[in-house]
Amino acid sequence: MLHHAVGISAHYPLLLATWLLPLAGALLLWSTGPRIQAKGAVLGTTVLGAAFVTALLSIPDALRAADGYVGAQQPLVTWLPGMSLGLLLDPLSLLWTLVITGVGFLIHVYSIGYLAGDRAIARFFAYLNFFVFAMLTLVLSDNFLGLLVGWGLVGLASYFLIGFWFEKPSAVAASRKAFVINVAGDVGIMLAIFILFAQLGTLSYGGVFAHVAQLSPSTLLAVCLFLFVGCAAKSAQVPLHTWLPDAMEGPTPVSALIHAATMVTAGVYLIARCHPLWDASPDARAFVGVVGAITALVGAILGLGQWDIKRILAYSTMSQIGYMIMGVGVGAYQAGVLHFFAHAFFKAQLFLGAGIIIHALGDEQDIRRMGGLARKMPFALLAMLTGTLAICGIFPFSGFFSKDAILYGVLEHGHPYLYFIGVLTAAITAYYMFRMLFVVFAGQARTPASVGEHAGHAHHAPAWLMQLPVALLIVPTIGIGWLAIGGEQSPWARFFEPIFGASLQPLARLGMSEATSSLVVTSVVLLGIATAFFVYATPQALRNAPERLQREGQRMPGMLTHAFYFDDALDGLFVQPTRALGRFCAATVERDVLDGGVHDITVGARWLGHFFRSFQTGFVRAYALVLALGVAAFAAYYVLVGVTR
Amino acid sequence: MITALILGPILGGLLLFALPRTADAAARACGVVLALAALVVTLTGSTLPDESIAWLQRPFIANYHVGLGQGLGFWLVALLNLCTMCAIAVIKVPRVRDFTALMLLLEGSMAGVFLARDLLVFALFWDLMLLPVFLVLIGWCGHATAAWKYLIYNVLGGLTLLLATAAFGIAAGTTDVIGHGPIPVLTPTWAAWIFAGFAFAFLVKTPVWPFHGWMPETYVELPAPMVALVSGIQSKAGLYGFLVIAWVLFAEQMHAMVPVFGSLAVIGLVYGGCMALVQSDIKRVVAYSSLSHLGLILLAIMSGQPLALQGAIVYMLAHGLFNVALFLGLGFVEVREGTRVLSRLGGLGVSNPRLAGALIFAALAALGLPGLGGFSGELLILTGLYQAGDYWQTIVALLVIIVAAAYMLRLFQGTMQGPVSDDLPQRPDLSAVEVLALIPLAAMIVLLGVNPSVLSSGVEPSNAVIHALPLQKERA
Repeated sequence: MLHHAVGISAHYPLLLATWLLPLAGALLLWSTGPRIQAKGAVLGTTVLGAAFVTALLSIPDALRAADGYVGAQQPLVTWLPGMSLGLLLDPLSLLWTLVITGVGFLIHVYSIGYLAGDRAIARFFAYLNFFVFAMLTLVLSDNFLGLLVGWGLVGLASYFLIGFWFEKPSAVAASRKAFVINVAGDVGIMLAIFILFAQLGTLSYGGVFAHVAQLSPSTLLAVCLFLFVGCAAKSAQVPLHTWLPDAMEGPTPVSALIHAATMVTAGVYLIARCHPLWDASPDARAFVGVVGAITALVGAILGLGQWDIKRILAYSTMSQIGYMIMGVGVGAYQAGVLHFFAHAFFKAQLFLGAGIIIHALGDEQDIRRMGGLARKMPFALLAMLTGTLAICGIFPFSGFFSKDAILYGVLEHGHPYLYFIGVLTAAITAYYMFRMLFVVFAGQARTPASVGEHAGHAHHAPAWLMQLPVALLIVPTIGIGWLAIGGEQSPWARFFEPIFGASLQPLARLGMSEATSSLVVTSVVLLGIATAFFVYATPQALRNAPERLQREGQRMPGMLTHAFYFDDALDGLFVQPTRALGRFCAATVERDVLDGGVHDITVGARWLGHFFRSFQTGFVRAYALVLALGVAAFAAYYVLVGVTR
Repeated sequence: MITALILGPILGGLLLFALPRTADAAARACGVVLALAALVVTLTGSTLPDESIAWLQRPFIANYHVGLGQGLGFWLVALLNLCTMCAIAVIKVPRVRDFTALMLLLEGSMAGVFLARDLLVFALFWDLMLLPVFLVLIGWCGHATAAWKYLIYNVLGGLTLLLATAAFGIAAGTTDVIGHGPIPVLTPTWAAWIFAGFAFAFLVKTPVWPFHGWMPETYVELPAPMVALVSGIQSKAGLYGFLVIAWVLFAEQMHAMVPVFGSLAVIGLVYGGCMALVQSDIKRVVAYSSLSHLGLILLAIMSGQPLALQGAIVYMLAHGLFNVALFLGLGFVEVREGTRVLSRLGGLGVSNPRLAGALIFAALAALGLPGLGGFSGELLILTGLYQAGDYWQTIVALLVIIVAAAYMLRLFQGTMQGPVSDDLPQRPDLSAVEVLALIPLAAMIVLLGVNPSVLSSGVEPSNAVIHALPLQKERA
């Protein structure tokens, strides 16, 4: 019976190895963790390095054209006809797989340094390995069922890692919030699955996408919107984004890997993967594009009001994912995916750079207590500056190419309003990112002396453990934008030809060329940077920085400090009513109505008991005996009747 | 051999009294061995022929007829034996010998219920199940009210079942009708009353809202190993009855009652979920979550949709596994900390990482984490419900899944995470035996989650009974 569960013929052993190695690492670390501790960190990192190598080795499999599709398909198990699990490695999932294992490996290395000396470091690496396995399950699945499994498992990994320091009540609350909101997203995907299975009788990508024409426009819209509920929860789109800033309770490498580079981009992956559905539903495209644009704008505005360096980066992540969702949402799939690719590097780099600062300052995250770090921490400055230039979209950093591609794509697909929001967001992004940079690095130190890249924590890991991964991330941050040069003949477009080649084409030619658009975006970005400079970095502003920053904090409008009251709204609309219903059931229905009636019977029975007790043995156990005798007598009667029939 | 599955544990339990009163370890070991033997017999016995001994001729034909078969009964008995083994291994109460004997008595009587092929045999074992639970409630728990409530509800249920069985025998001429044809024809009036008797017993035993009054206190008071069996497996007796007896013998009446029972199921689903969210006692959280989950299974059974029914079977097994694991885990917490109050507990995961791991695993299975058994069952059920056109029920159930995530994490985090409660004792982590007892449960939960089709590919899940269901619906 068991061989049905595990009897898999391995067509692609390298693919299976890539997928299962991190799981094996996690299980090994879970079972032996407490004994091996620091060695566990090296073990987990090695396992992930091996997974990255096998992923690289499976590139030829992913690009090989087989009958009708490009890529490697590996069936696993079948639940029912049409409902089965399997793996698919094609250019789209290959890109994600390489980022997850590659960037993941660098962040593993970084974590060896960042968490050196933590009592539970082996548990941390077990969670990290488990996350990589879960994320690979998500992107490698060849069907919606496996996607949902991965979708749920990454939520679990995120829960584990946000709550890694589980003695902190704030971490516990943040992890629960993240998990519950993500379950709400899972539920959306489940509804989409029910509709697809009821209509088409299959959940495999190939089967569904081949029969999109059979779905009525309203059904198609419903499927897209329910899928998007999942995307919104996972990728922090308004109004389901409130867990992401809180998720910064997790250790910084977690924020870099899960809450910036990989997991939160799952929504982008899902829409890109399901582009045949989006191609066929203009309403879904319009809706998702609008939500993405709103998220980009809201994230950027909220980024203005933060003092915690990680929360600034969290809101910037939310905003950048808004761009990606807007891109893939309106049909500019390649551009959205390119921004994911660029963002994975520069945002990981920003978080890891911030982690170096936080680590050196002894877990200080408030930028008001930083300042003047440029001279003390030149490497962190390099990391943060290149990352910031990339996120702002300055030529020649990667963000320039990817953000322009999205914005121009939005325009091309006929959404000038969204284009306007995107450009506005770019200006705000430049402002709040450089605000952070100036407050952290410029001027005089507002921290106690004797901090530097080598001070801080007592337990020392070599500095290169944390610096080398960041340095390696800077290379693609500068380099990968060039992949997109050349329009339809660019390496990027040719790579994705098998996936997006037949997808939605842009509308008619526009009056504005891509170069003009780039010029517009670059000028507003420079305007944002200049404003930040005048507010925070002029010699005059730097001289009395502490007072100015304090005043800014006091004058900050409630809308910003309360993050537009999204948290309060969700709490009031969903959490409190459910609790109130529970309390009502407990206090009224259960106690007075249900229990009350039975209580009377119980009292009556007791009274009867006392009555009989007056002339029988007065011990409650006697009732047990009576009961047993009763059953026995009944049984005996029928046995006797049977024998003497 | 099939009879041995029933009599083995019962007689073995009686033989335990030959041991000295203080031979705790020996009693536990004997219990584990007996349950393991029963498990082995079950797993290798799917091809064993039915055993039948003629018994009554008047006033109706009744036989001592038991059969294992390859369907739902087989899986439930396997689940029962596995869980009993794991639960007996971790018994930690006063008078272990007597307690183990009662556990075995419960195992044997439950096996009798699932193996019976004659309604009268079914009803007698149904009543026998009551005895060990009641004895434990009065012998091991401080609260007499719980025992009384349990007794009143379940004696009422058992009595109506017995009366209905007798009436069925008189009306149909035989009670040897479970799981094989031909199905006797009853006059509508008789059928309605007899069905009412059966249904009431099933609703109370499961329990289904609003017949659950006995459940919270019983679950709270019973020691962990016993409550694990009661909530994990005994709760399936009522659902088994609906599937194997009610749908087959009373299809017409069931159809008439689908709106009623379906509504009760939905109410229980929501009610249990909301109640679980606000409980302050850790065992009550799981008690009400169980009410919610059982509501979902009943909803699936009432839909009669083939996919939903398959899901119901998967979920019945998964629910048994994770509920046993949950209650055993909570028992470990209670034994270590001496309290069940959520607001007093906290931070136990620091000194007890293995216990924390076990509890989060069980909680995740219960909240339907993809990849574990609770998820595959839920997904199949809801896919089926949606296909059957029960859109509102599907959406309500989905919303309750979100609530389930909230209350399960509240339970786990309240006990294991947060600041360490200094006023509570610090006790050592799970022992090797305690870990070993949980591993088979966890393995089965993963297996069901990854590939629920093991139920149908290894052993055909459904003899005529399950496959007959959709046909019954069409015929009616």
